[in-house]
Amino acid sequence: MTATDERAVEETSAPASPSPPRRSALARRQARAARIFIAPNLLAVAVFLVFPLGFSLYLSFQQWDLFGPIRFTGLGNFRRLLTADPLFTIALRNTIVFTLGTLLPTVAISLVVAAALNQRVRGIGFFRTVMFLPLAVSSVVMAVIWRFVFDTDNGPLNMILGWIGLGPVPWLVDPNWAMVSVCLVSTWKSIPFATVVLLAAMQGVPEDLYEAAKIDGAGGIRRFVSITLPLIRGALSFVFVISIINSVQAFDQIYVLTGGRGGPETGTYVFGIMIFQNAFAFGDAGYASAIAWLIFLVLLSLTGAQLWFSRRNATEQ
Amino acid sequence: MRPGTARRRRARGLLRAAALYLALIAMAWCALLPIVWALSGSVKSQSEITTPTLAPRHPQWSNYGEVFHLMPFGRMFLNTICYAGCITAGQVFFCSLAGYAFARLRFTGRDALFLAYLATLMVPLTVTVIPQFILIRTLGWTDTPWALIVPGLFGNAFGTYLMRQFFRTLPTDLEEAALLDGCSLWQIYWRVLLPNAKPAVMVLTVLTWVTVWNDFLWPLVMIQRQDISTVTLGLVWIQGQYVSDWPVLMAASMLILLPLALVYALAQKAFVRGIAMAGLGGR
Repeated sequence: MTATDERAVEETSAPASPSPPRRSALARRQARAARIFIAPNLLAVAVFLVFPLGFSLYLSFQQWDLFGPIRFTGLGNFRRLLTADPLFTIALRNTIVFTLGTLLPTVAISLVVAAALNQRVRGIGFFRTVMFLPLAVSSVVMAVIWRFVFDTDNGPLNMILGWIGLGPVPWLVDPNWAMVSVCLVSTWKSIPFATVVLLAAMQGVPEDLYEAAKIDGAGGIRRFVSITLPLIRGALSFVFVISIINSVQAFDQIYVLTGGRGGPETGTYVFGIMIFQNAFAFGDAGYASAIAWLIFLVLLSLTGAQLWFSRRNATEQ
Repeated sequence: MRPGTARRRRARGLLRAAALYLALIAMAWCALLPIVWALSGSVKSQSEITTPTLAPRHPQWSNYGEVFHLMPFGRMFLNTICYAGCITAGQVFFCSLAGYAFARLRFTGRDALFLAYLATLMVPLTVTVIPQFILIRTLGWTDTPWALIVPGLFGNAFGTYLMRQFFRTLPTDLEEAALLDGCSLWQIYWRVLLPNAKPAVMVLTVLTWVTVWNDFLWPLVMIQRQDISTVTLGLVWIQGQYVSDWPVLMAASMLILLPLALVYALAQKAFVRGIAMAGLGGR
């Protein structure tokens, strides 16, 4: 795609610079300016992103408490992680539960919300603004507010449940309910983003397809399932992958909601908490890096799979 | 016969519209209720916080003043505005400059380099945060404002990507005319392209501002001193110390949320467009 675009630029600019020497002078000028323009940005990306990435891979084969000497342990960290650490299994299980418990409701609800926001009715702009508002709320503020909502004695959620005769739920106190609470908050927070992406895709669906289906007698739900869903498949798979990436890395909201240790007990002990605890509470940088790289590899293969699928779908069509 | 079906159809249309509005209002309530509840809680007294009323009987505005007593919250606000301002200015400048080079200038290795940029977008913060911390510590910047400002100051891959995508949509006639007039490439960027890139600059500004304002993990790892802390960090400290002082906690939350909600309301379209743009990038 880039190559054809470049040719187009070249063709249009060719008549403007007829003599060959001037052209190559311009090309040289362009190349030199481009290097200068990119240099600061490139340096920042290299120093603050690429170098740390490589260094954390290096660290994952070492044992280091962040202060003393670095000691090479080979695959020791990974062996300990996969065979000797009972917390790994707990973190893995919790992360999977958290990911599914956030992903499935997010996709289901945001599909409905996007479909509703896609209607052309008066005042729809107002509803879009309101429903996208949680996008601007930081996960920390959100978590503090939700702790209030979840408060066992005074929280509005238990108050409302009390009105309909349901006993107080130990939202953040009981390990199992704590996971439910965390999923609930994350779903609330991630619906607006998913909705934005799905809505953008829905608005790209050609109107005449709906018209044709309507003439053929297809109802609203039928049109949604047979036209909208297949045509926004790309956006849908993007939402899936981004949600999974965000859930697997989740840290802020869980840290604030449950007090930073993945409690109560190990009810919300996920990978994000595990990495943070090992690195900054126990000072085990090598071990934390090994966990981080394991997760990174899983996410990378997931993203690769998504790219592969969407490309295959594109060639099929 | 005919007027009858028309009336029935109109009745059905009205019913549909009513159902849609009802659904929209319900959804909007779900999105807003926690925020509205917190807003009402922020002006309640400690005794009234347990009552399920949305409008407090005796609004107690002193909760907001209390926040500033517990912590140097005003200072933290100034800090955060300063950090967000510096980083946003740096991001917009360096990302648009690099984005211009990637979109409009030709040099060897451009496409390969750009692919590498795209790949770095997938690197999660959790993987890099430990070496980044070590790097900052080696530079002697932990617990100083530099730790918060410098890493974001010179731009990142995401902003560059965003700006490049936008610059590619501008017509080439603009710069050709400028080139014939003898403009340097810098002048083309500064005088011709950047003024035409207002929508993309808006998007990047809003996204960067919101990200820095809401950032938590990075300041948590880097900062210990209250007088250089950010507001989100301050909120977590307050929460740790005044666990069940809900009115004050809600007031502090609202103080952090409201300025951003204001920015969001003003720049809502740019914000949403930026997210949609970022979404398209991942496909």
